[in-house]
Amino acid sequence: MTAVAESDSSAGSPGTGVGTGSSGTGRSSTERPKQPRPSALAYLGLLGLAAAAFAFFWWSRESTDVLFLPLGGVTLWAPQNPLIGLLIMLGLLIVCWRVRIGEMAAFGALTFVIVTYWAGENIDFTLASIWERWDNLAGQLAAFFNPNWSYVFGVWDEWLVTLNMAIVATIIGCSIGLVLAMFASPVSSPNKATSQTIKALNSVIRSIPDVGWALLFVAMIGGTAYGLGPLAGVLALLMFNIGIVAKLLGETIDAASPGPIEAADSTGANLTQRNRIAVLPQVLPGFTSYSLYVFELNIRASTAIGIVGVGGIGHELNLQMNRFAWENVASILYMLIIVVLLVDLFSLWIRRRLM
Amino acid sequence: MITFENVDVVFPNGFQGLKGIDLTINQGEFVGIVGLSGAGKSTLIRAVNGLVPYTSGSLSVGETVVDPKSKTKLRRLRSKVGMIFQSFNLVNRISVLNNVLTGRSAYTPTWRSMLGWYRAADKELAFQCLERVGIVEKAYERASSLSGGQQQRVAIARVLAQDPEVMLADEPVAALDPPTAHRVMRDLRRIQRELGMTCIVNMHHLDLARSYADRIIGMRAGEVVFDGPVAEATDAVIEEVYQRSMTAEDVVADDVPVSVEETADATEHDPDNDDAHHDDDPAVLGSDDPGSNDPGSNNAEQARL
Ligand SMILES: Nc1ncnc2c1ncn2[C@@H]1O[C@H](COP(=O)(O)OP(=O)(O)OP(=O)(O)O)[C@@H](O)[C@H]1O
Ligand SMILES: [Mg+2]
Repeated sequence: MTAVAESDSSAGSPGTGVGTGSSGTGRSSTERPKQPRPSALAYLGLLGLAAAAFAFFWWSRESTDVLFLPLGGVTLWAPQNPLIGLLIMLGLLIVCWRVRIGEMAAFGALTFVIVTYWAGENIDFTLASIWERWDNLAGQLAAFFNPNWSYVFGVWDEWLVTLNMAIVATIIGCSIGLVLAMFASPVSSPNKATSQTIKALNSVIRSIPDVGWALLFVAMIGGTAYGLGPLAGVLALLMFNIGIVAKLLGETIDAASPGPIEAADSTGANLTQRNRIAVLPQVLPGFTSYSLYVFELNIRASTAIGIVGVGGIGHELNLQMNRFAWENVASILYMLIIVVLLVDLFSLWIRRRLM
Repeated sequence: MITFENVDVVFPNGFQGLKGIDLTINQGEFVGIVGLSGAGKSTLIRAVNGLVPYTSGSLSVGETVVDPKSKTKLRRLRSKVGMIFQSFNLVNRISVLNNVLTGRSAYTPTWRSMLGWYRAADKELAFQCLERVGIVEKAYERASSLSGGQQQRVAIARVLAQDPEVMLADEPVAALDPPTAHRVMRDLRRIQRELGMTCIVNMHHLDLARSYADRIIGMRAGEVVFDGPVAEATDAVIEEVYQRSMTAEDVVADDVPVSVEETADATEHDPDNDDAHHDDDPAVLGSDDPGSNDPGSNNAEQARL
């Protein structure tokens, strides 16, 4: 039945179906156009791509693990990984073809498989090594189930340093980020050149990761060894925050509704007034939300950058790890989870209130 | 007085929005601009305060020549030329009062605007403006919580806070239902008379223009093709402007029924307007006659709620 309807609709010109609906053949007038088949040629091309990828993986394989198929004692020799990859690619193409997915989407899916395979292969991503090193891990894992709670409260001061670093960096970083975002968005900046320049500057700031900034500032002004760890940490977090807020908020400003801005212009407001009056109120909820998010990030990041010598709980964590005091490390990590969760809840609560 | 002398507007993409406009609009005049969509009505209005820069000719408001090149001069000009928009363009998240106070920007130091700390005199003025449009009791509500008609009143109050000599309005009531549209237009007209402002209003509906304007300017393809007092703007003349015969849509705003009885009358006598979608809309029933200025009527009060 469906086959008949299909051939009919492809043969007849559009519109004929409606008129002949009553001819008693059972074909109703509610026939819908069929989704067109994707181009077979394109799919052949995709097949070629899959084959090429397979060939590449085959020749560049390092592992010669073989695939044992226990079919009646038969052992099939095949380096397993590229073969499995090929099967997945072929399966994907077949499924895409059957459900008539367009060639571009199928190409995207195929590329996704190929890139994933390639990436995983290059770094030897496999869970097997965890099994191999189990004995080694077991002792540490045991420590993680037995954290030293009395220790974690003993380093209360370090926690405070971390929290304070996060707070100071958030406040200063977000304020600077707000100003930069205003200059970065063409909507609120004085002119195109300014907006381009600030955007470029911003990209540079963001291209350096938080740990990168931390290393840089530790090298410049000295780390915990000189008692300047927290300062270096705040500066590092600050740059990190400026990058995030300026980027996110800049995009929010881009999307601000132009009506009120034009209205402010029409009253004769100058640029600063106009941005304050018509842009800021529009992006304020976004800004608050980003600031809270940045604060959460700072708590986490200050732990990570503590390891490179900027003080705070991260520094303590590093010390305990070097001492192999896994019970202490565990208690710090657990506490970190709790703190981050609390901060998360707190910011969620504020954000709810904002909406 | 606003003078256009051979004003052209060429957009950056090369499209000519206005072609050789010559116009003189006198102090205290209420001018309605009509024309089909794309005729250049908005362009004409926006040229006056420099939101659209004109590219040749000369354009002046009072003694001031509009100079699209100088931001400072434009700002000074704009402080005296208020503008009302079809979509109200209020800042939704701040209070009505603060929206009105933004009209004081040109007279307020930047640092005060930054802090949102306006002078007491400005606040008082803002309250007076809100009183004038009849929604002073909404002063501390969020702008977004108001109805469309109320929001447009706030926008009018914002312009009044500028203490303008000229008021530009780009289809100020096109987003409102016909009875509300009439109420807002009536207020606009009343205020314009009281303050002796010059007012240029784009209007979609010919009959709104006829009811409220002193003078009608018809535009087509960037040119002025009709300019005369309302009495001269007959159907035949306007059909010439539109270059097609008028349809119910062009005049739909006029047949707002006055009462339940008249609703029946209107539908009887005027079957052409049966498709006027608001005929059986209860909100319409009992609305005022367009143009009547009776402040004691029920609806005037409803509008203020
Ligand atoms: N920024 C711009 N760049 C290029 N062309 C524009 C621009 N703004 C307007 N136009 C063109 O100028 C012509 C007049 O536009 P305008 O907005 O003045 O029309 P209008 O009479 O107000 O129409 P409507 O009743 O639909 O608002 C239109 O053809 C429009 O496409
Ligand atoms: Mg327009």
